[in-house]
Amino acid sequence: MKRLIGLSLLTMLTFSVSAQRYMTKNGFISFFSHTPMEDIKAENNQVAGVIDTSNGEMVFQVLIKSFHFERALMEEHFNENYMESDKYPKAIFKGKITDLKSVDFEKNAEYEVVVEGDISIHDVTKKIAVKGTIEVVTGGLKANTKFIIAPEDFNIKIPAVVRENIAKTVEVTVVMKFDPV
Amino acid sequence: MKRNLKTAIIISAILVIAGAAAGYYFYNLKPKDLGKIKPDFYVTSAELQRSFEEDEEAAISRYVDKIIEVSGVVSDINPGENSTMNISLKTDNNFSSVICTLTSEVLPEEIRVGSRISIRGVCSGYLMDVLLNNCVISGGSL
Repeated sequence: MKRLIGLSLLTMLTFSVSAQRYMTKNGFISFFSHTPMEDIKAENNQVAGVIDTSNGEMVFQVLIKSFHFERALMEEHFNENYMESDKYPKAIFKGKITDLKSVDFEKNAEYEVVVEGDISIHDVTKKIAVKGTIEVVTGGLKANTKFIIAPEDFNIKIPAVVRENIAKTVEVTVVMKFDPV
Repeated sequence: MKRNLKTAIIISAILVIAGAAAGYYFYNLKPKDLGKIKPDFYVTSAELQRSFEEDEEAAISRYVDKIIEVSGVVSDINPGENSTMNISLKTDNNFSSVICTLTSEVLPEEIRVGSRISIRGVCSGYLMDVLLNNCVISGGSL
């Protein structure tokens, strides 16, 4: 299954037509959890993503183990106890810009978009719709979004002893700079 | 008897303090500085990528969470968000590299696309590329 997803992403790239597809392997996703007890932040600079400007489809994937925390122990607990990253090593989003006509990929500007799709984390897939921006720049595309997800929705169990320290919902930030394929 | 009780109280107090100190210490432990730790493996970027491409399961159990010193030719340099830097190393597959995320955004000047370098990092696994994190440049440009 893992291999199939990797392969499909690669196939999308390999058989791409002209500059209708943009990709990056150096995208950024972070998440932030705030409680009165403490703030927890993790960052991942190895996000792979593809956008097809002809139909607005996009695919993002990350390795859970590429998320980094300020404290080593948090990273260990995140991987071993909450995300079970040995069992579920990847998170994937597959979606589509809902109103593709609102973006002119020929004209440098920032466009507000809504992207709908399926997000898979910890072997649970959910429908999600997020607001974000697509910025058309010379020789590339930038995509930014912020949205909220709840660990509970993805069957991620937080032990009672740290429940006060980890927020019910976390804010996810995505910053991508795509190059034409 | 009284003296025993006193000793017991003192010993338990010491234990509690030591426990709290240890807890505090582990809680605040930062990620390891890989510059100071001996790698588990020395491999070339081509070799590392080939292991994952040929047998991902075997490569995962061999390399993931291990400290790897990988040597290869720089194919791409990408400044990341929040003071990080991604360096890609060439492999035999044009669509797949070894991507190393450095903990510092400051690169030695002599390192650019085409440089042959060694980087030490922790292997996170394989997406379309082999991914290394918490990386430091070891020995700089050769």
